[in-house]
Amino acid sequence: MVPIVKISNLDKYFGRLHVLKNISLEVMPREVVCLIGRSGSGKSTLLRCINFLETPSRGTIEVDGVKVEGNEKGKLNRELVHEVRLRTGMVFQEFNLFPHMSVLENVIEGPVMVKNMDRDKAIALAEKNLNHVDMLWKKDEYPMRLSGGQKQRVAIARALTMEPKVMLFDEPTSALDPELIGEVLTVMKKLALDGMTMLVVTHEMGFAKDVADRVIVMGDGELIEDAKPSDLFNNPQDPRTKALIDRYRSGEQ
Amino acid sequence: MNLSAKKDSNTPKSQADLIFEAQQRKELQFKANVALSWAVLIIILLFLFSGQNFLGIKTIKLDTTFIRDNLVFIAGGLGETIKISLLSIALATFLALLAALGRLSTFPPIYAISTFYVSLIRGTPLYLQIFFFFLALPQLGIILPGLWAGVIALGLNYGAYMSEIFRAGLSSVGKGQREAAIALGMTPGQTMRRIVLPQALRFAIPPTGNEFIAMTKDSALVSATGFVHELMWRSTKVGRAQFHNLEALIMAAMFYWAMTLLLSYLQSRIEARLSKGDR
Repeated sequence: MVPIVKISNLDKYFGRLHVLKNISLEVMPREVVCLIGRSGSGKSTLLRCINFLETPSRGTIEVDGVKVEGNEKGKLNRELVHEVRLRTGMVFQEFNLFPHMSVLENVIEGPVMVKNMDRDKAIALAEKNLNHVDMLWKKDEYPMRLSGGQKQRVAIARALTMEPKVMLFDEPTSALDPELIGEVLTVMKKLALDGMTMLVVTHEMGFAKDVADRVIVMGDGELIEDAKPSDLFNNPQDPRTKALIDRYRSGEQ
Repeated sequence: MNLSAKKDSNTPKSQADLIFEAQQRKELQFKANVALSWAVLIIILLFLFSGQNFLGIKTIKLDTTFIRDNLVFIAGGLGETIKISLLSIALATFLALLAALGRLSTFPPIYAISTFYVSLIRGTPLYLQIFFFFLALPQLGIILPGLWAGVIALGLNYGAYMSEIFRAGLSSVGKGQREAAIALGMTPGQTMRRIVLPQALRFAIPPTGNEFIAMTKDSALVSATGFVHELMWRSTKVGRAQFHNLEALIMAAMFYWAMTLLLSYLQSRIEARLSKGDR
């Protein structure tokens, strides 16, 4: 099988700070990969490089056969970047719904503006996806009137309606009140069961353990461990992973 | 209010109810006292211009015949004043938006043009700018009708000041909004047009209203050219001719004041609607 995301020798600098160090990573279709690690380990930056919200300083990123070369000047091939963005959907920590649009308008904005999709067709698709995240009943509400969990579910539907090949989640539950985290994780589990390829930056160890096919641990801009969750949680190799898991276990009790 | 009135008759009031009612009473009382004070000030003002002798105080006597004879003439300037203000605010809004967008540009000449414009206009008096367009340009063979010289000068001037409003509006839209649009695959143009501008403009509407109110009054400066027959021009014309400047200027002042009150009221309505809107 051919990997759907292939990152080779990726480097990223913020000014003089070397935040991603020669990272190579492959993700297979239908795989669910969780990226964990302490804050500042570079996991969010890695995710944001995949759809070029951050410009890689070196290395290549290939998504579904579209290959983009990073370079030091930060000049990327615009058309290829656009192709990659069409193949990836992103969910943000802060939801980033458009406050001046209703739920339905938020969800059809991408297909109508970017893909020139017929409005009626976009609405049909949007309603299907809103239903999938159980938010169809709020389709005429404005984001301001939704809870954090509801906003995030709409954001997921918005990304899905672009029909991406890969979904990127950047700490999707970190801005939520504890009692609202469950509803978002449930939707994400559903997506995983549907066979969506997912890369999830998260602090939710429970989700990583139960849903991920692979868990990647990052530290200081490097991948320090890459294993099946059962292996990783029962038999961590790197002391940093061990510390991370111990902290999770002590929090759980 | 109805709810608490109903409560009065049967159930006893809770502590919270009592405190809330006391607060409301205090607020109402304050408002009533302010209204009363306003009324007193207006009565004093009217009395000062009544021409009556009262308790040895000699008040100012206005020539009512002059007022009656020239009311229609001066009021005839209202339309022109409103016309200048509307045209100027339209031009100013357009320029302010361009200047604010220019400040976001990463292309040096565009950024420079925008900052140059704002600096030059804010660094020179409005009065001078009006004369420049009306009196200095003809020397170069460019003769603008008085109205247009005024509109261009006011528009350019207010555009420079208002560009800050639009800049604040644009920067009030969070980075996450742009990122969400980019992640969907929207182009920079689409992101600006569909996501950033609608939110920025909403933010900019109330301060733009303030500028418009200020502009209706600064439009009086255009009378200096002598070719725009708006409120100020008309009142000084008849005032000087018949040596009744006092009456003439008071009349113009009343018209400006009334206009400002009306516009402020409209603006507060718009603001109230925006703040409770479906954001």
